[in-house]
Amino acid sequence: MATPLPSHATDRKRFETGVWTLWTDRLMTVVIKFGGAMVITAVFGIFLFILFQVFPLFLAARVTELKSVPLPDAKFTILGVDEWGAKPFLVKPDGKMLFVDFATGKESAVPVDFGDSAPHEITAAAINKREQKIAVGTADGKYALVSPDYKSVAVDGVPSVSASPSASAFKDIGVPGAKVLDIAYGDSGAQKLVVVLQEMDGKKSVSALQLKRKHSLLGKGADEIAGTFDLTALIPGRPDNILVPSTGDGVVATTEDGTVTYLGLDPEGKFQPLQSFRPFGDLGDARIAVADFLFGDVSLIFGAVGGENRVFSLFYPKGGSVRLFGQTHEFPKLACRPTYLVTTLRNKAFLIGGRNEASLRYATTEAIRWQADLPFTATNAVISGKYARILFLDDERRLHFFALDDPHPDSGWKALFGKIWYEGASEKKWEWQSTGGSDDFEPKYSLIPLIFGTMKGTLYAMIFAVPIALLAALYTSQFLDPRLRGIVKPTMEIMASLPSVVLGFLAAIYIAPLIERQIPSLLLVTVGLPIAAAAFGWFWSELPIQLRKFIRPGTEWLVFIPILLGLGWILWSLGPAFESVAFVTTDPGTGKKVADFRYWWPAVTGASFDQRNSLVVGFMMGFAVIPIIFTIAEDALSNVPGALKTASMACGASRWQTAMRIVVPTASAGIFSGLMIGLGRAVGETMIVVMATGNTPIMEWNIFSGMRTLSANIAVELPEAPHASTLYRTLFLGALLLFLLTFAINTLAEILRQHLREKYKTV
Amino acid sequence: MSSAHHDDSLTRTHAAHGEPLVWLSAMGLALGMLMVVGLLGVIVSHGIPVFWPSPVLEVTLKPGAKNPVPGGGNTLTGTLVQQRSKRAPVLDADGHRQADQTEYQLFVGNKDAYGVNFAFVDGADVEKIEEPKDIYVIERMEYGIAFGFPERITLADGRTVAASDPGFADALAEFVAEASRRRNEIGTIEKRDIGRINASLNNLKLKGRGSEESKIEIAALDERYNKLAAEARALRAVQQSATLTYKVPNGKERSLAAGDIIGYYQANRLGFFQKAGLFLHNIWSFLSQDPREANTEGGVFPAIFGTFVMTMLMSIAVMPFGVIAAIYLREYAKQGFFVRAVRIAVNNLAGVPSIVFGVFGLGFFVYFVGGSVDQLLFSDYLPTPTFGTGGILWAALTLALMTVPVVIVATEEAVAAVPRGMKEGSLACGASKWQTIQRIVLPASLPGILTGLVLAMARGAGEVAPLMLVGVVKLAPSLPIDGEFPFLHLERKFMHLGFHIYDLGFQSPDSEAAKPMVFATTLLLIILVVLLNLTAILIRERLRKKYSTGAF
Repeated sequence: MATPLPSHATDRKRFETGVWTLWTDRLMTVVIKFGGAMVITAVFGIFLFILFQVFPLFLAARVTELKSVPLPDAKFTILGVDEWGAKPFLVKPDGKMLFVDFATGKESAVPVDFGDSAPHEITAAAINKREQKIAVGTADGKYALVSPDYKSVAVDGVPSVSASPSASAFKDIGVPGAKVLDIAYGDSGAQKLVVVLQEMDGKKSVSALQLKRKHSLLGKGADEIAGTFDLTALIPGRPDNILVPSTGDGVVATTEDGTVTYLGLDPEGKFQPLQSFRPFGDLGDARIAVADFLFGDVSLIFGAVGGENRVFSLFYPKGGSVRLFGQTHEFPKLACRPTYLVTTLRNKAFLIGGRNEASLRYATTEAIRWQADLPFTATNAVISGKYARILFLDDERRLHFFALDDPHPDSGWKALFGKIWYEGASEKKWEWQSTGGSDDFEPKYSLIPLIFGTMKGTLYAMIFAVPIALLAALYTSQFLDPRLRGIVKPTMEIMASLPSVVLGFLAAIYIAPLIERQIPSLLLVTVGLPIAAAAFGWFWSELPIQLRKFIRPGTEWLVFIPILLGLGWILWSLGPAFESVAFVTTDPGTGKKVADFRYWWPAVTGASFDQRNSLVVGFMMGFAVIPIIFTIAEDALSNVPGALKTASMACGASRWQTAMRIVVPTASAGIFSGLMIGLGRAVGETMIVVMATGNTPIMEWNIFSGMRTLSANIAVELPEAPHASTLYRTLFLGALLLFLLTFAINTLAEILRQHLREKYKTV
Repeated sequence: MSSAHHDDSLTRTHAAHGEPLVWLSAMGLALGMLMVVGLLGVIVSHGIPVFWPSPVLEVTLKPGAKNPVPGGGNTLTGTLVQQRSKRAPVLDADGHRQADQTEYQLFVGNKDAYGVNFAFVDGADVEKIEEPKDIYVIERMEYGIAFGFPERITLADGRTVAASDPGFADALAEFVAEASRRRNEIGTIEKRDIGRINASLNNLKLKGRGSEESKIEIAALDERYNKLAAEARALRAVQQSATLTYKVPNGKERSLAAGDIIGYYQANRLGFFQKAGLFLHNIWSFLSQDPREANTEGGVFPAIFGTFVMTMLMSIAVMPFGVIAAIYLREYAKQGFFVRAVRIAVNNLAGVPSIVFGVFGLGFFVYFVGGSVDQLLFSDYLPTPTFGTGGILWAALTLALMTVPVVIVATEEAVAAVPRGMKEGSLACGASKWQTIQRIVLPASLPGILTGLVLAMARGAGEVAPLMLVGVVKLAPSLPIDGEFPFLHLERKFMHLGFHIYDLGFQSPDSEAAKPMVFATTLLLIILVVLLNLTAILIRERLRKKYSTGAF
C-alpha cells in the first residue's frame, strides 16, 4: 500500500499559477509588445516625418476657380489688382476706374479726378507694379499717373480692402495731339521715366519724358521735367510695344517685325542704343506677340506669334564689360498665339496665355507650375501681389477669380539638382545662396555644391584616416603584445568619444593657425614619416638577431613613439628651410621674392589658399573616423579563427605573410564594413566642418580651400529659416539625403558583417 | 674554424619576410595613440594654466621702440601669453637678420584704460623684464582684469585709508569682503524676491483679465516691489560710493567702485601654496559662478547645470523605451527575417548623423508638438510661443531619440548574454515569462544596460549640432530648475557646455580674450565625457570577465 501523499502535495492549487502572476504576465506582454513596436515605429517615423516635410517642394501649383463676376458692357484698357487679390480694378476709356469686390461680387465705377473737366479718351495704360501706379495715355497725346491707393482694414478680424484712387493732371507728351498707342513708366524714386508710343497719320513715334524729384528742406518736392527725348530715330523699324524697367534708366522697344531694341540712358542724360536683337530670329515667323519684364526687371519674357516662349536676361557676356541681353531660358511652345503675359511681384513666375490656354511658368527653373485649358477665352489676366490669386478677364466680360496655391514655386527637381541659369550669371551653374541683400534677390537652392562639399570633406578625411586606422588595426590584431591590448583599445575608444565640438574648436583655434604657417613642414612630415618608418623597419631587420632580440615582437610601436616624435620634430623644423628653397614666389604687394607657401600655392595653381581648409578638416575628422574604422576592422581581424593563422605559420609563412595573405583576405568583408561605417560618420559630421571651414559653398577639389557640407549647411541655416518656407523644406531635404545616405551605407556594412559571421561559422 | 663561420652566418640571418612592413603598421598604431595623447595633452596644457596665477611682468622697452599700449611711456605691464619666433624675419637697417627673432604676446589688462587687452612686443625692442613686487591683480565685474598699484580706499561714509597706512592690507580685505556681501544681498533681492513678484504679476495680468481682485493684488505686489527695489537701490548706492583708487602702470589714477571688485591678489608676492590655493579657488569660481562679459569671464555654472539637467531628462526618457524595445526584440518578437531587419535598422540608426535628429526635433517636437501644446494650453500667451520654441524638454527628447539605438543595442547584447540555463531554470520552476525577465534577465543584464545608458549619456553630453536647433542658447536668463513653481521649467532654453565652446570660440567679440575660457570649458567637457566613457568601459570589462569565467 502506498503511503498517501501529504495533503499539500495533492492540493490542486499547488499546480496552478497565481491569478496575479498570470495577469501581470499578460499585462507586461501587452505593454512590452506595444511599447517595443511603438519605439521601433517611432524610430522609423523620423524618416516618414522628414519625408512628409520635404514632399511639398515637389508639388505643382494648384489653381481652382473661386467665382466669376459679370462686368458691365464696356471696353477696358487695363486690369490691375491689389496685393490680396480682393479688389481688382479695370480702367475704362473715359477715365473711370471700375473696382470689383471679391467678397460681394459687386462692381463699382469710381471716377478719377484728373483735375481737368475736358473729356479725354484713354487709349493706353500701363501699371508699374512696384510703385502701384498706373500711367495712362490719351487719344490726344496726353498722359497722367493714377494711384489706386489701396488700404487694408481689418473689420472684425476679416481684412477688407478699400481703394481711393487719385491722379495727377493730364500733361502733354511727345508729338502734340498724337494718339498714344502704348505707354510705359519706370520709377526709381528719385527719377521717373514715362515713354509713349504714338501714332499720327500712320507714322509711329516714340518719345520719352524724364521727371526728377526736387529735394527741398521741406521734404518731398514736386516732380520736374528733367528732359524730353525723341527716340524714334534710335529704333529701327515700326515699334509696336515699349517697356521701361522700374529703375527708369532704359527703354526696350519691340517692332512689328520682331526686333527688340534696348536703349540705355547714360549718366549725361542721353539715350544710347545698347543692343538690338531678334529673339525669334531663327523661326519662320519672328514676330513678337507679347513681351514684358520679369520681376526684378533684369529679364525680358517674349512670346512669339507662333506660341514660342523665351526669356532673355541681362548679363555680362564672357569677356564683355557691358550688360547685354542674351537668351537664358526656353519654354515649351503654346498651341495658340499668346495674347497676355503677366508677372508677379513675389517671384520669377509669369502667366502666359491666349484664347483658352493658360500657363503659369517659373522663369528660373523653366518649370511649368500649372497649365490648363480654361472653359472661356481669356483676354487679360493678373496675378495678385501676394501670389495667391489669379484673375482672368474673358471675352464675354466676365471676371474670373482663381485661387493659386503654390507655396514653393522656386523649388522642384531642376532647382534642387539641375544646372540653372540664374539672372545676371553668364552661364548655367549649380549654386547655393539662400539669402541676399535686396528685395528682388533670388534664392538659389541647388544642393549639388553641398553634396560636392560633403564628398570633398569625406574624401580628405578618409585619405588621412584610412591608412592610419587600418595599419593600427592590423598591428593591434596581429602583432601587438596581448598584454598591451588592454591599453590600446580603451584609448582608441576614448578617441571615439571626443565630442566633435571639441575637435572642431581645436581645428579652428589651434590646428588651423599652426598648419597655416607650416604647410611645407607638414608636407615633409607626411611624406617623410612613412618612408622613414619603412626604412627604419628595413634597417632593423638587417641587424643581427643579437640586437633584434632586445625588442620583443608586439612592442615595436612603443619603440616607434620616440622615433616618430624625434623625426617628426626634425622634419617639422626643416619646413622653413624647405619652403625657402621650394616655394619661392613674388609677393603681389611688394614685388619682392618671398618664400611663403601661402602665396606660392595661389600663384602656381591659381587656386585659393584659406586658413580654414580641407586639410584641417581632413585631419580633425580623422579623430572622429579613425577609432570607428579601427574598432570594427580590428574586431574583424581578431575574429579570424586562430587555426587558419597557426596553419599558415606552420607552413613557414612569416607573420606579415600570414597577416596579409590569410587574415586580411578572410576579414576583408569586415574591414570593408568598417570603412563604410567610417565613411558614414564622415559624411554626417557637423561641428568639425562648421567650425574648421569657411562654409563657402564652392565646387573645387582644392585641398587648401574650404567647403560647405550638407550637415554644416543645416546647422548654419536652419536656426534662421522661417517655418515651412522653401528654405526650411530644402534643409529638411538635405537632412533626408543625409539620412538615406548614411542609412544605406550602414546597412550595406551591416549586411557585409553578418555575411562575414556566417562565413566564420563554417570555417 | 668552420664552426665560427657557421655561427656568423646564423647570426646574420635576415629577418622574416615583410618585417619592415610590420614596422610600418606599428607606425600606424603609434600615430593613432600619439594623436589621442597629443590632443588630450593640448587641451590639458592649455586648460590647466588658465587657473594658475601667472607672474606679472614689467617690460622696459629700449628708447625709441614703439609701445603698443597707449600712454605707457617705455614700459608695459602684464602677464606673458606666449613667446614665439617671428615668421617673417626682422631685418635691421642694413638688411641683415637681427639676432633676436622672438616676439612676446602680453596680456596687459586694464581694458578700460588702454582700449586693448593684448600687446605684441618684439624681443629686439626689450631692454629688460622685471617682476614688480607690489603690483596688484584686481578682478573686476567689467573690463576684466586690472593691473595696478592701490593708492587708497574711500569708504561709503567718506573715510579714507591710504595705501601707506599700516592697516591697509586688512582694510582692503575687509572692503572687498563687504562689497561681496552686499552684492550677494542685492542678488537675492533682485533675482529671487523681485523675480517672484514679477512672475506673480505676469500671471495676474494674463489670467486676471483686469478683474477687481486682480487689480488689488497687483497694487499690493507693486508696493512690495517698490519697497524691495528701494532696498536694492540703497545697497547699490553704497556699492558705487565706496571706491578703491589705484594707479595703472602707465601712471594714471583710476578709481573702481566697490561693487565692481570681485577679488585681488599680489601676483608676484605669492608663495607656492598661496598660488595653489588661488588655483583651487579659481577652479571653484569657474565651476560655480555665472558668466560675465559676454561669457569670456566668470564661470560656467549655468552651462554645467543645463548640461546636467538635459542629460538627466534624456536618460529618463531613453531608459524605459530603450529597454522595452530591446526586451521586445529579444524575448517577445518572433525571431525571423523581420526582426533581423529591424535589428540592423536600429543598429544603423546609431550611425545616422546627429544633425538629422536635430532637424527632426525642430520639425516634430518644436513646431508640431510644441505648436499644438501652445494652441491647447498656452493660447493666452500667443503669439509668444511657450513650448512652440526650442526648450530643454525638446532638446532632451531629441537626444533621447538619437541615443535610443545605443541603449537598445547594449540592452539586447546584455539580454542575449544571459545564459539560457538561467532563463530555462526559472521557467522550469514555474515562473511566468515576465517573472523570469523581471527577476532573472533584467538583474543579470543590468550592468550591460547601465553601460548602454552611460554611453548614451556621454554622447548626449558632448553633442552640440542637434541642440543648436532645439533650444540651446549662449546666455540663458534663468536656470531650468529653480525655486519658482513648478520648479522644473521644461520649456526654458538652457546653456550647454558644448555649445558654450562653440559660441565662445566662434561668436565671441574678442576671441583672443575668450581663449582661456574656451580651453577651460573644453577641459571640463573632455573630463566629463572621458570619465563617463571610462565608466562604461570599466563596467563592460568587468562583465566580460564575469561571463568568461562562466558562473553557468
